[in-house]
Amino acid sequence: MHEMTLAIQAIRSVVEFAQENGIENIDTVVLEIGELSLVVPEYMEEAWYAAVPHTMLERSKLKIDMVPGNGICLDCGQVYNIVENKGRCPKCGSDSKDVLCGEEFNIKEILVPEEE
Amino acid sequence: MLRTIEIKQSVFADNNREADSLRAELKEKGLFLLNLMSSPGSGKTTTLVRTIEALRDELRIGIMEADIDSDVDAHTVQDAGAKAVQLHTGGMCHLTADMTRQGLEALGTEDVDLAILENVGNLVCPAEFDTGASKSAMILSVPEGDDKPLKYPLMFTVCDCLIVNKIDVMPYFDFDYEAMCERAKKLNPNIEIIPISAKTGEGVEKWADWLRGQVKAWKEK
Repeated sequence: MHEMTLAIQAIRSVVEFAQENGIENIDTVVLEIGELSLVVPEYMEEAWYAAVPHTMLERSKLKIDMVPGNGICLDCGQVYNIVENKGRCPKCGSDSKDVLCGEEFNIKEILVPEEE
Repeated sequence: MLRTIEIKQSVFADNNREADSLRAELKEKGLFLLNLMSSPGSGKTTTLVRTIEALRDELRIGIMEADIDSDVDAHTVQDAGAKAVQLHTGGMCHLTADMTRQGLEALGTEDVDLAILENVGNLVCPAEFDTGASKSAMILSVPEGDDKPLKYPLMFTVCDCLIVNKIDVMPYFDFDYEAMCERAKKLNPNIEIIPISAKTGEGVEKWADWLRGQVKAWKEK
C-alpha cells in the first residue's frame, strides 16, 4: 500500500501550491496516473479520502485521469498499448520497445472557483 | 464557473529531491549507504551476516532493519560484528528518503563507514522510492525462478548489483541462469550480477569485493 504515502505527498504538494499562489478554495484536484505506474487508481482514491480530513482539500473533489501505457517497437516502429498486448508488438512480435508514456504519477491540475 | 490551473508535477518529485539531498550529505560525510532489496525469504539475513563477516575487519558497519517480516533482530547482526537498529515501519511496503534519514539518525553514523538499509521485503514498491542510498542492490534467490526480471522489471532497472543467492540448490530447480542474466541485462545493461550461496559461502568474496570497491570509490571522489 504505497498509495497512502503518495496520497499524503500529493495532498501536501497541492496545499503548498495553493498557499504559494494565494488560492483559498479548490473545487477539484486532477491526478494523472499512468497505466504502467505502480499506482492503483481505486486504492489511490480510498487513500486520498482517508488523508484529506483537516486539510484545505477536505471538501474538494478528486478526479483521476488515466494515461495509456504506450510503447514504440524498436524493430518495426509500431506504436502499441503495452498492457493490452502484454508487452509484445502486435505487428512483429518483438518485445524490444521504448516506453512512450504511462509511467507517470502527476498532479495534473486543479479547478478553482472563478471569482465573481 | 471553474478555472483550471495546470500544475503538472510528479508526486515522486518531493521524495526524489529529498533523496538527492540525503545522497549529497552522505557523500560529503564519506558515508556509504547501500539499499538492499529483495523478496521475503531470499536469504537477506544470511547474506547480511556473511557480508559483515567478510568486511568487519576493514569497515565499520551499521545495519538498518526495516523489513516487516524480518527475523533478524539486532542481536543476530550485532553478534556478527555490526551495529544495528530496527526501524518500525508499521506495515509500510517501502521506505522513503525521509524515513531513511530518520533511520540513519537512529543508527548514529559518526562511527560507521558502511550503512546497509535492509528494505522491506517486496520487489514492487521499494523500487519506486529513491531512498537516497549511494547504491542499490537486490537479492534474487534461485527458488524464486529465472522469470523474476520479467515480472518485476522496475526493480532490476534501479539496482546497481544483482546478487543471485542459493546457487547451491540450482540443480534441484528449473532455474536457467543464462536466461535470467540476459533478461536482467536487457532491462539494465550496467547491472553487476554476482552468484552466491550465503549458506556455503561460495561467491561471497566476490560480492564483498564489489561492495568494498563501491565504498572506496564513494569516499574518494
